Amino acid sequence: MLFSSIPFLYYFLPCVVLLYFIVPKRAKNTVLLLSSLFFYGWGEPRYLLFMLVSIAQGYGFGLLIEKYRAKKRSKWFLTASVLFSLGLLGYCKYADFFVENFNALTGLSVPLLGIALPIGISFYTFQILSYTVDVYRGTVPAQRNIIRLALYIAMFPQLIAGPIVRYADIESQLGDRTHTLEGAAYGVRRFVLGLSKKVLLANVLGALVEAFKATESPSVLYVWLYAAAYTLQVYFDFSGYSDMAIGLGRIFGFRFSENFDHPYVSRSITEFWRRWHISLGTWFRDYLYIPLGGNRVGRARWLRNILIVWMATGLWHGAAWTFVFWGLWFAALLMLEKLWLLPRLEKYRPLGHVYTLFFVLLGFVLFDASSLSGAGATIAALFGGAGLPAVTAESLYMLRSYCVVLAVSAVAATTLPQHLARMAERRPPLRTALRVAEPAALLVLLAVCTAFLIDGSFNPFLYFRF
Amino acid sequence: MADKIKNSAVVALAALFIGGFALWSLLQPDAAESVAERRPLAQLPELSAESVLSGAFMTDFERYTLDQFPLRDAFRTVKACTALYAMGQKDNNGLYVVDGYVSKLDYPLDTASVDYAASRLQFVYDRYLAGRDMDVYLAVIPDKNAFMAAENGYPAFDYDELCDRVRSETAFARFIDIAPDLELADYYRTDTHWRQESITDVAAHLLAAMGAEADAPDYTVREADAPFYGTYAGQSALPLAPDALRYLESDTLARCTVYDYETAREIPVYALEQAAGKDPYALFLSGSKSLLTIQNPDAETDRRLILFRDSFGSSLAPLLVAGYKEITLVDIRYIAPAILDRFLSFEDQDVLFLYSASILNNSETMK
Repeated sequence: MLFSSIPFLYYFLPCVVLLYFIVPKRAKNTVLLLSSLFFYGWGEPRYLLFMLVSIAQGYGFGLLIEKYRAKKRSKWFLTASVLFSLGLLGYCKYADFFVENFNALTGLSVPLLGIALPIGISFYTFQILSYTVDVYRGTVPAQRNIIRLALYIAMFPQLIAGPIVRYADIESQLGDRTHTLEGAAYGVRRFVLGLSKKVLLANVLGALVEAFKATESPSVLYVWLYAAAYTLQVYFDFSGYSDMAIGLGRIFGFRFSENFDHPYVSRSITEFWRRWHISLGTWFRDYLYIPLGGNRVGRARWLRNILIVWMATGLWHGAAWTFVFWGLWFAALLMLEKLWLLPRLEKYRPLGHVYTLFFVLLGFVLFDASSLSGAGATIAALFGGAGLPAVTAESLYMLRSYCVVLAVSAVAATTLPQHLARMAERRPPLRTALRVAEPAALLVLLAVCTAFLIDGSFNPFLYFRF
Repeated sequence: MADKIKNSAVVALAALFIGGFALWSLLQPDAAESVAERRPLAQLPELSAESVLSGAFMTDFERYTLDQFPLRDAFRTVKACTALYAMGQKDNNGLYVVDGYVSKLDYPLDTASVDYAASRLQFVYDRYLAGRDMDVYLAVIPDKNAFMAAENGYPAFDYDELCDRVRSETAFARFIDIAPDLELADYYRTDTHWRQESITDVAAHLLAAMGAEADAPDYTVREADAPFYGTYAGQSALPLAPDALRYLESDTLARCTVYDYETAREIPVYALEQAAGKDPYALFLSGSKSLLTIQNPDAETDRRLILFRDSFGSSLAPLLVAGYKEITLVDIRYIAPAILDRFLSFEDQDVLFLYSASILNNSETMK
């Protein structure tokens, strides 16, 4: 079920909220868990089994790892749990990718398995992995209450597109959490703002992206419009989902970590990845990069570690060479920065912004491409390399039709709105005006989002496929 | 304290809005169709293990909730106004407005579609007309985009290019260029069609080009009682003023009879009750009909015309009556041309292929 859908907003959510707040405290986790399973099963009834089995293995191995802590068997149980999690993810997500490449290399025709990717499996698998590893490391105790562990893994606000929540971060909240008016209001605000990002910006930008892909009269201008629109669409789509997840979590008393921090204001790729999909970046740092030795090894191993982590990051996003090269693209840029470029970017800050946006934009062209050759052709077209005209009537029309949305999106992606809000907070008359306007503004946004959903077509979140 | 009031307002307003519409959705009876969108609305899907496991129930339920949402038309208006006026988009779902005229983006030129349409006309010619002493004509009606797109920065296919292409594929027909007789004001503001009261010059041009000149009849302009909200009014969801649906009456037209082959009955030239119906343009010759014959008892000629046409032909055909004793209208979107000889004999009639440019560019419905 999509957050940005009428069934979720006007059927599922009011029922769950009502039920959650009328049941006694001891039943709240059960209500959330059952509704989460319904939420997941609504979109993927067949794949509920995968999730239930994953929950069972995470619960069982967590207990066994703790029981045999400091003994060799503990490591075996951790290995079994990791292999199970990665095996399931590999089977569902990567099996056909490997078969295709195997066939290409050997000339054989091993039939593809044709497995549909269970929604959110990359996210909940990483949550289970972090839980069992943390239990093994002794940083968290194993959860004995299966409902609590299942809720950690399956909780619907963050189930299918993150953020990737660490068990350690919400362990105490699973057992005891408070529900306040302030928290609920914050949750509503975050949810409505996230919904607006998705529905009013990402989906509208997505229409421009689709129009470009369908056009019969491309131009250099059109390719740039596409690249800019897609770069902004991915951000508002994904960060909008994270906002909604964080907002919903807060309504139910959970505090999830932030997943985005205005990544497009970054002055380097290093900074960009500290601000973009933070929960994934920190996951790979803590569970792959640092165990490999991080940067506390020789230069060659350090560079190898970066390569491994970014290849894995690319592969996590999808089973295709475009994603692998997307990861390697950032690996190369990060190495370049760490070895030479970073101090210079610090010195020439405006240049750093331009540099970062430019390479991130090219990266997202690669990310969105269906093949490496397609990505190459699009990137060449950006610089007039495909023999395209500079402009066409259609591309000029699209520029005129989308210039306001592109401009608003570009400004909204910066910290400017936040700065303005803080400035207003410091001035009493403006602060009062803001307090009065905020509930009305949120209501208007909710109504306009509803209007767009009613009129619009199906717009799944981009990150669902990961 | 102020924050507490604000937080209370945020939570209460959101709860009231979402909870209120949720309850409204549950309690209101389901509507069968949308008058504005001229389509049936999705109904609650049947719940079964099979439909749930296949995911069909969820997909259908989503469609149902969208279609049956309370105040659906008002929300669609909010969306259209936000997209066009707040977000500065030039069109909403492909519909755009210039000086009160609504049109639908239609580009690029779909050469495959034009060629397909031409192939259907060629089929008719080869099957029924080739080798006979019959005069065959072709006219292409420009759509509204031809008058309002390019000069306002909207992309549109090139009408002349489309005409050239269809002409080159239908060399058997003499082309009659009616574009100079038309301007934007000849079309309804909220509908795709032309106004009957504005195309008497087009009719005269066609009659003259086919050698069937007649004295200009003394028409009386009548106006339907109901306001005319054209197909684009509902699709655009914008708060547009209605058009006036006018039709031309004359003594000759009053005596004409129209035979409908589908129902084997006579129907009126102007079905006035349709003006208040779902498709008011069906006032002209009762709208979508595969095969009709108009008989003109006042005709001073024995000439007969077969008019292969789309919906634009419904309002034009009564104006051609002045030059013919009999006009047969054929819409090959509703009847396969291969079976026409079961109903018609092709002998010594004039034949006019009259199609709108938008139908030729989107010809998948032609049989």
